[in-house]
Amino acid sequence: MATVEFKGKTFEIDEDGFLQRFEDWSPEWVDYVKEQEGIKELTDEHQKVIEFLQDYYKKNGIAPMVRILSKVTGFKLKHIYELFPSGPGKGACKMAGLPKPTGCV
Amino acid sequence: MAFVSSGYNPDKPMENRITDIGPQNYQNFLPPVIKNNYGKWLYHEILEPGVLMHKAESGDEVYTIRVGTARLMSVGLIREILDIADAHCDGYVRWTTRNNVEFILDSKDKVEPLKKDLEGRKFPGGSNKFPIGGTGASVPNVVHTQGWVHCHTPATDASGPVKALMDEFYSEFQSMELPAPIRLAVACCLNMCGACHCSDIAVVGIHRKPPLIDHEVLDDICEIPLAVASCPTAAIRPSKVEVNGKEKKTVAIKEERCMFCGNCYTMCAALPLADAEGDGCAIMVGGKVSNRISNPKFSKVVAAYVPNEPPRWPTLVQTIRKIVDAYKQDAKKYERIGDWAERIGWERFFEKTGLEFTEHLIDDFRDPAYYSWRQTTNFKW
Repeated sequence: MATVEFKGKTFEIDEDGFLQRFEDWSPEWVDYVKEQEGIKELTDEHQKVIEFLQDYYKKNGIAPMVRILSKVTGFKLKHIYELFPSGPGKGACKMAGLPKPTGCV
Repeated sequence: MAFVSSGYNPDKPMENRITDIGPQNYQNFLPPVIKNNYGKWLYHEILEPGVLMHKAESGDEVYTIRVGTARLMSVGLIREILDIADAHCDGYVRWTTRNNVEFILDSKDKVEPLKKDLEGRKFPGGSNKFPIGGTGASVPNVVHTQGWVHCHTPATDASGPVKALMDEFYSEFQSMELPAPIRLAVACCLNMCGACHCSDIAVVGIHRKPPLIDHEVLDDICEIPLAVASCPTAAIRPSKVEVNGKEKKTVAIKEERCMFCGNCYTMCAALPLADAEGDGCAIMVGGKVSNRISNPKFSKVVAAYVPNEPPRWPTLVQTIRKIVDAYKQDAKKYERIGDWAERIGWERFFEKTGLEFTEHLIDDFRDPAYYSWRQTTNFKW
């Protein structure tokens, strides 16, 4: 298992670059990941998606379905892809520190 | 090799990015004789195993030579196929839905030279590179999956058993002497990617032991409600355990309710269940997708477990040989295996094939299981 250091923080990650533990998440993590996910500047809209994903995960123990993410944030799927070019799973969930999506993906 | 850029700029990933262009239009790749007669075919004939002729309204004739492939192939082999297509078919070639390759010719004189060329090509080990066949009432290619080559949930291999099976049924591939085609399929777990649930004979990888639970990391890498909801028999429930003095959220599995489907591992990497002795194959028969005479059918389990015996899976191959031989001897013309078994009755099917009937074959999954039991006095001793 790999560890990365960024701005004085250490993160344990898997081979796809997802955080191993949700509790390890910190704002520096978002800063560290954004480059790999093709994001230059973090906007309020990015923050809104990340915060909602984290709230939903804490409350329900799962990541929300795409339609729930769209409905609650008010961002259409197209807009979510504009914010996170790798999409809600690989992009947004990774930055929010959620576990890696599973199943036949 | 050192890094060579394709022109993609990682600093500006969305610049010059081309998306949503879809596949190429198939019309761009049609041989001229197909393009000219598109939608104007009169009839076709199977001239010999692996060779077809289509007659068009214009009088044009198209000759097709079908060859078997291993599906999993190198670029080197694809290049060789393209070289053959360049030499004989003006560069045109196509793949079938069962992963055979078809060379299409516009005149009869080209058939013999191409056949000769194909038959002469062998791998260093001695296997034919391009065996001709797979038409009519034969055993065409096996629809199969990834197995131990690439997947993380398999209970058996795919390429290995398929090679062992096709070696056994090679003469059936190259001839057309069966009552009807026998479609074989292999899936390496119960996900059944491909055609196992609707093939004449299907091999499906199965587990026989419940998953191990990695309590320490489960909550970190899994979404617990998904693992709970993935279980078809509700054997999984959320629970808590103490690991190294710390309380951890995890799941508990009721082993007597678990039937080892492996769905929970698909959703949660902390629940692995592959096991060298436990894993093996189930054999299913009698499925079909066509509407010819009888409606499409699901295949049914006739052997609950045969062990994994790499590299040649002898028990599996011999069991399927028994089924094919009994079918070949007993079925009427045009009868698929499912039609045959239903006509003679499944008790006769087990008698004729010599397969053992065990309690594992009796459906016990929810209400619909009842409809698979016999509610009549009609049966044969």
